[in-house]
Amino acid sequence: MKISKSIYLFFIPGLILYSIFFLFPTLSALFYSFTNWDGFSPSYQFVGLDNYDRAFTGDSIFRKTIGNNLKFMLVVVVFQTIVALAFAVIVLKNTKTTIFLRALYFFPTILSSVSVAFIWSFIYDPSLGILNQLLELVGLGFLAQNWLGNANIAIYSLAITQVWFHAGQMLIIFVAGLQAIPQDLYEVAKIEGASKWQTFRKVTWPLLAPSATIVVAYTTIQSFKAFDLVFAMTRGGPNNSTEIIATYIYEVAFRGFQFGYASAISVIFMVIIAIITFLQFKALRSDRISY
Amino acid sequence: MKKKYSSVVLTLLAVLLILSGCAGESTSNSSSEGGSKTQINFMHWRGEDKAVLDEIIAEFEKENPDIAVEMTIYPSDQYMATAQRMLQEGSTGDVFASFPGAQFESLQSAGVFEDLSGEAFVSNFDENLISVGQLDGKQLALPYQLVFNMPIYNKAMFEELGLEVPKSWSEFQALCDTLLENGITPIAFPGADIGPNQFMNSMMMNNAPDEDIFAKLQSGEEKLTNEWWVKTLEDFQLLEEKGYIQENALGTNQDSAMQMVANEEAAMLATGSYHMASLIGLNPELELDLLAPITVEESEAVYEGINTATFMLAVNSNSEKKEQAKKFVEFLSQPEIASKYANETGQHLTVNDVNYESEVLKNTAYWIDERKTRFQPRFLITNAQVEDAVLSSIEDVLGGADPMDAAAAAQKIVDENRE
Repeated sequence: MKISKSIYLFFIPGLILYSIFFLFPTLSALFYSFTNWDGFSPSYQFVGLDNYDRAFTGDSIFRKTIGNNLKFMLVVVVFQTIVALAFAVIVLKNTKTTIFLRALYFFPTILSSVSVAFIWSFIYDPSLGILNQLLELVGLGFLAQNWLGNANIAIYSLAITQVWFHAGQMLIIFVAGLQAIPQDLYEVAKIEGASKWQTFRKVTWPLLAPSATIVVAYTTIQSFKAFDLVFAMTRGGPNNSTEIIATYIYEVAFRGFQFGYASAISVIFMVIIAIITFLQFKALRSDRISY
Repeated sequence: MKKKYSSVVLTLLAVLLILSGCAGESTSNSSSEGGSKTQINFMHWRGEDKAVLDEIIAEFEKENPDIAVEMTIYPSDQYMATAQRMLQEGSTGDVFASFPGAQFESLQSAGVFEDLSGEAFVSNFDENLISVGQLDGKQLALPYQLVFNMPIYNKAMFEELGLEVPKSWSEFQALCDTLLENGITPIAFPGADIGPNQFMNSMMMNNAPDEDIFAKLQSGEEKLTNEWWVKTLEDFQLLEEKGYIQENALGTNQDSAMQMVANEEAAMLATGSYHMASLIGLNPELELDLLAPITVEESEAVYEGINTATFMLAVNSNSEKKEQAKKFVEFLSQPEIASKYANETGQHLTVNDVNYESEVLKNTAYWIDERKTRFQPRFLITNAQVEDAVLSSIEDVLGGADPMDAAAAAQKIVDENRE
C-alpha cells in the first residue's frame, strides 16, 4: 500500500509541541550546564565540565540528596507496589462494595499535593498530630516520634505519605491487569491442583508483569520527582535530611541563582532516572510473555 | 487527490491554530494598557496585608483617576524565585517589593532597580533606616517596614511572676528556670519552618558583634568552627537540653508555636515583631513586648536586639510606566497613608511622622530609636548554600549532634561553596 507523503504533515503539530515543551528545554539545560549563568545576567562564561566536576566531587549536599532520593524511592516503590497489588486483589471482583472501595482508595490521588502535605503535616505534628495521639491511645506511646523533625526518620515519613497519595493510582493499573488475565488459566491451574500461592506465582504474576513494570517504572519516576510534597512538608529539612534532587535543583537555581550548576544537576538527574528505568524494564522483562 | 489536499489544509489549520493561540497572550497583555487609565502592577509577598492595601489603592486611584493599580501577590517563600523572572520581563511589577540582602544583590545585578535618589519622596523616610536599599550612593529601593526579628514575650506573664528582662546569659537562664518551675515553656520555637532562620540572629548577635562576620565567612577569613559560631550552637544545645524550648521543636511549625504563646503555655515566641498582631488576634488579652536573649555577660553585650528594614519598595527599570509607579511609591510614603498601613497591619515603618495608634505598636516603638539593634545578620549571607549550611548546623544540634561536629559539617559546605 502506498502511503501519501502528506501524511507526514500530521507529525508537524506534535513535533512542534514536543520541540517547544521538551526538546528545546532539554537542550537548553544541557547547554547551560556548561556555563556559569546566574539566570538573570545577559552574559555568562563557558566553564567546560566544571559544574559536573563540582557535582561529583565538590558538593556533599548533592551526594546526600542522591542518597535521600534512593531511600525515598526504595520505600515508595516497595510499599506502593505491594499495597496497590494487595488492594487490587481485594477489590478485583466487580461488586458494589469493591467498586466503592476502589473509589475510596483512589480518592487521595485526586487531591492536590499541597492539600496532602497539609493533612499529613497535621497528622505528623509531634504534639497535636493524630498519629502520636493514636499510638498513645492503643498503648504504643513509646513509638511516638517527631516524624518530620527527626533527621533520621523524616525521609521515611515523607515516603509513607507519598505511598498513601499514589497507591490508589497504581491500584487501578493492577486491577486492569488482573482483569485481563484469562479465567481459563485459573481453571486449568485448579484442575491441576495448584495451591493459591502456586497459582499466583505461576499464572497471575507472569501475566501481571507488564502492569507491574508500568507501576514500578512510573512509581520510580514519580518518587524521584516528588518535589511538591517534600517542598510543602519539610523544604528539605531538618539538616538536609529530606532534600531530594528535585528540591535541591530548585534551591540551587532559585535561591542560589546558579542556573548553570542547577542545569548540570538536572542533566545528571535525567540520566539517573533513565538508567534506573532501563534497568527496571530489563529486570522485569515486560516484553516476555510466559504463555 | 481531494482527500490529500483536505488533509494538508487541516494540518496547516491545526498549526495556525496553535500559533494563533500563542499570539493571543501578547494581545491580552497589551489590552491592559488600553482605555483612559494607565494600569500599573504592584508586586509583593504580603498576602496578609491585601485588605488594607486594597483600601490604600482605592484612595490612590481616587486621587489619581488616570492610574489604576493591580496587585500581584506571591507567598514570601516563592517570591524570590518568581519575582525576578517577572521583573526582567517588565510587564509585571512596575512597583515591586524586594527583600534586603541576597535578593537585593541579585536584583541589582540584574539591573531591575530604577534609581530613586533624586526623588522628593525619599525624604519622607528615616534616612538612618533606608541605607540597606542603597548601593554606590544610589537609592535603589526604599525599605518600608521595620521588623524586629527577635522573640516576642508575654509581658503580663512576666509581671505576674515578678520577672524582669534579662541582661545577661546567666540572667536569661535563671528566667527560663523560673518559667519552667511555674509549668510554662520558656520559648516556643518553630523549628520546622522559620525558627532557626529567625532565632539565630539574636542568639549570635553578641557572640559575633562584628557585622562583617558573614562576609568574612564567605571570603574564608572566618570559620564556623571558630568560637563565635560554636558558642552559638552550644547555646542552642543548652536551650534544648534544659527544656527551655519545647520538646520536638524541630517538628513544630510557626502556627503551632504561635498557638502555644496565645494559649499562654509558652512565654516567648522565637520569631519576630511581625507576629505580634496575629498573636493579639489569637488572644486579645495578651500584653506583648520584645526581648532578645543576651548570650554573653552584661558588660560584654553590644546589641540589645535585631532589626530588619524590609519590604523594600522599588520601581522597575524595565517598566514603561515609571512615572505612574513613582507616584504610587510617593503616595505610600505619605505619613497619613503609612500610618493607616502601620496600624492596620501591626507593623513599624521606616516612614517619618507615622502615628502609631495600636497599643502594641506604641509600646514597642521605643525599639526604633532608644535601643541598640543591629541589622539582621542572616540577610548579610549572600550565598544561599552558605545560609543553608549555617541553618542546618542549628537543626543538627537541636537534633542531638555535638556543636563542634555540626559546625565542622557546615564549614565543609561553606568551603565547597566559596567562590
